[in-house]
Amino acid sequence: MADKSNDPVAMWQNMIGEMEKGFNSFANQAMASPEFSKAVNQVGGATAGAQKQLGDLMEKYLVSMNLPSRAQMVSMAERLQSIEGQLNEIKALLHQVHSNSGTPEGRYQAAPKPPRTKRPPSAGGE
Amino acid sequence: MNAPAGLDPASIPERIQSEVQRAIQRSIKGVEYISSSGPSLGSTPKDILSVRGTMNLYHYRPMSDEIYRVPILIVMATTNRGYILDLVPGQSFIEFLLKRGYDVYMLDWTAPKPEEKSLRMEDYVLDFIPDCVRRVQRDSGETDVTVVGYCFGGVLSLLYGSIFADGPMKNLICFTTPVDFREMKLFQNFSDKRYFDVDKLIDSVGNVPPEMILSSFEMLRPASRAASQVQLWENIWNDEYVKSYRMFDRWATDTLPLAGEYFRTITKELMWDNKLYNDVMSVGGRPADISKITVPILHAVAEHDHIVPYDAAKPLIQKIGSTDKEEVMLKGGHVSLVAGANAIKRLWPKLDSWLGEKSI
Repeated sequence: MADKSNDPVAMWQNMIGEMEKGFNSFANQAMASPEFSKAVNQVGGATAGAQKQLGDLMEKYLVSMNLPSRAQMVSMAERLQSIEGQLNEIKALLHQVHSNSGTPEGRYQAAPKPPRTKRPPSAGGE
Repeated sequence: MNAPAGLDPASIPERIQSEVQRAIQRSIKGVEYISSSGPSLGSTPKDILSVRGTMNLYHYRPMSDEIYRVPILIVMATTNRGYILDLVPGQSFIEFLLKRGYDVYMLDWTAPKPEEKSLRMEDYVLDFIPDCVRRVQRDSGETDVTVVGYCFGGVLSLLYGSIFADGPMKNLICFTTPVDFREMKLFQNFSDKRYFDVDKLIDSVGNVPPEMILSSFEMLRPASRAASQVQLWENIWNDEYVKSYRMFDRWATDTLPLAGEYFRTITKELMWDNKLYNDVMSVGGRPADISKITVPILHAVAEHDHIVPYDAAKPLIQKIGSTDKEEVMLKGGHVSLVAGANAIKRLWPKLDSWLGEKSI
C-alpha cells in the first residue's frame, strides 16, 4: 500500500486541514483583542438598527401596494398555529377520555402503552 | 520524472484512474446535490403534547415492549432545533433511547415571534420547563422525571433543578453545559460590555435575529465553512459523506432567533456578571444555586468543543451538590459529541449504562 505521507491527494487534504486550523487560530487571536470587539460592535449595532428600519419601511411599502405585509402573514400563521394547537389539545383530551373510559372490544383503541417494568440488563439478568 | 519517495510507481496508474472516476462522479453527483433536497430529519414517530408559543413538547412513541419506569424529558438549547438528536434512523439519539426501553419526551423550541420578545429567563425556567415536567408526569403517570439538557438547554435544566431542588427531577444529564462564562473567551470578547450595547440592540431589533446568532457561532471558526465546502466537493462522489454533510449543515444553519429579554438576561447576568459560577444567580427572585442540586448527574463534555470550551464546562461537576456525579470527556466537538460516530459508539452506550439502573 502506498505511503499516505507521499500520496499527493492525502497531502492536499492534509494541507487544507492545516490551513483551516492555522487560519482559525490566527483569526481567534485577532478576535480576542478589544479593538476587534469595538469594531464589530460598532458595525454590528449600526447594521442591526438599519435592518430593522429597512424592515419597517418594506412593511409600509407592501401595505401601500395592497400586498399582505409580513405582520399579516405572521398573524395568519399564528392563527393556523393556534388552531393546530387547539386540535392537538382536543386530540390529547380524546385520548385521555378514551383511555379512562375503557373501549369495548372491536372498537378503535389507542396503542396500549408498554408496561413500565423494564430493568437494566445487569439487574434483570438479560 | 520519478515518483515521490514512498509512493509505489506501480500504483500510480490505478490511482490516476480512481481520481478520474471520482472527478466524473463529482460532476454527476454535484448536479444531483444541487437538484435534490437533503435527507428527511427528525422523523422518529412522535405526538405533540403541547404547543405554547415558542415551546413545543413532543412525546416519542415507544419502540420497546417494556419501558423503564422513569420518563426522560430532553430540554433542547434555545438557539437550535431538536432534530440534531433525531437525525436519521441509525443515527438518532432519540431512536437509540427508545430502542433501549426509555420513554422519551422533548422540549423543543420554535422561533419566538416578534411579540414574544418580552419572554424572560423566568418564562423559560419557572414556566415552560415546569409546565412540560407536569405534562410528562400526567402523560406517563409517573412522579419522577429524568432531565437531559443539551448546551444551553443544560443551563436551563441546571437553573430549574436548583430552584426545584426538592423534585420531581430524579436524574440530570447535561451535554456540554457552560457554567463559567468567563471561559467562553471569544463570546466574552464579542459581548465586551465596553463596546456591546445589549440594551440598544434589543430595544431596536426586539428578538435577536438568527443570522446574528449564526454568525457569532461561525466567527469562532471563520475558515471552517470554506474548508468544509472544499471537503464536500472532494467527497461529493461519496454518498455517505454527502448525506452526513447535508444533515449537519442544515442543522447548523437552522439557527433560531432568541427572545430579546431572555438574551438581555443571558448577556448581563451570565456573560458579564458570571452569576451562575459566582453562586449569585436568581431567576424571578428565586435563588438558583447549583450546589442545591443533589440528584445523580452525568455531564458529557467534548475535548475539542469550540463553542463551550472545557474550562467553561468543568466547574459544573465541582460545584453541584450531588454525591453521585460523573463527568465523561469524549473526543470530538460540540455537535459530534451528541450526534457523531463517536456518540453512537461511546456516549450513547455510556449514557444507557449510567441511566438504566437509575430509571427503575
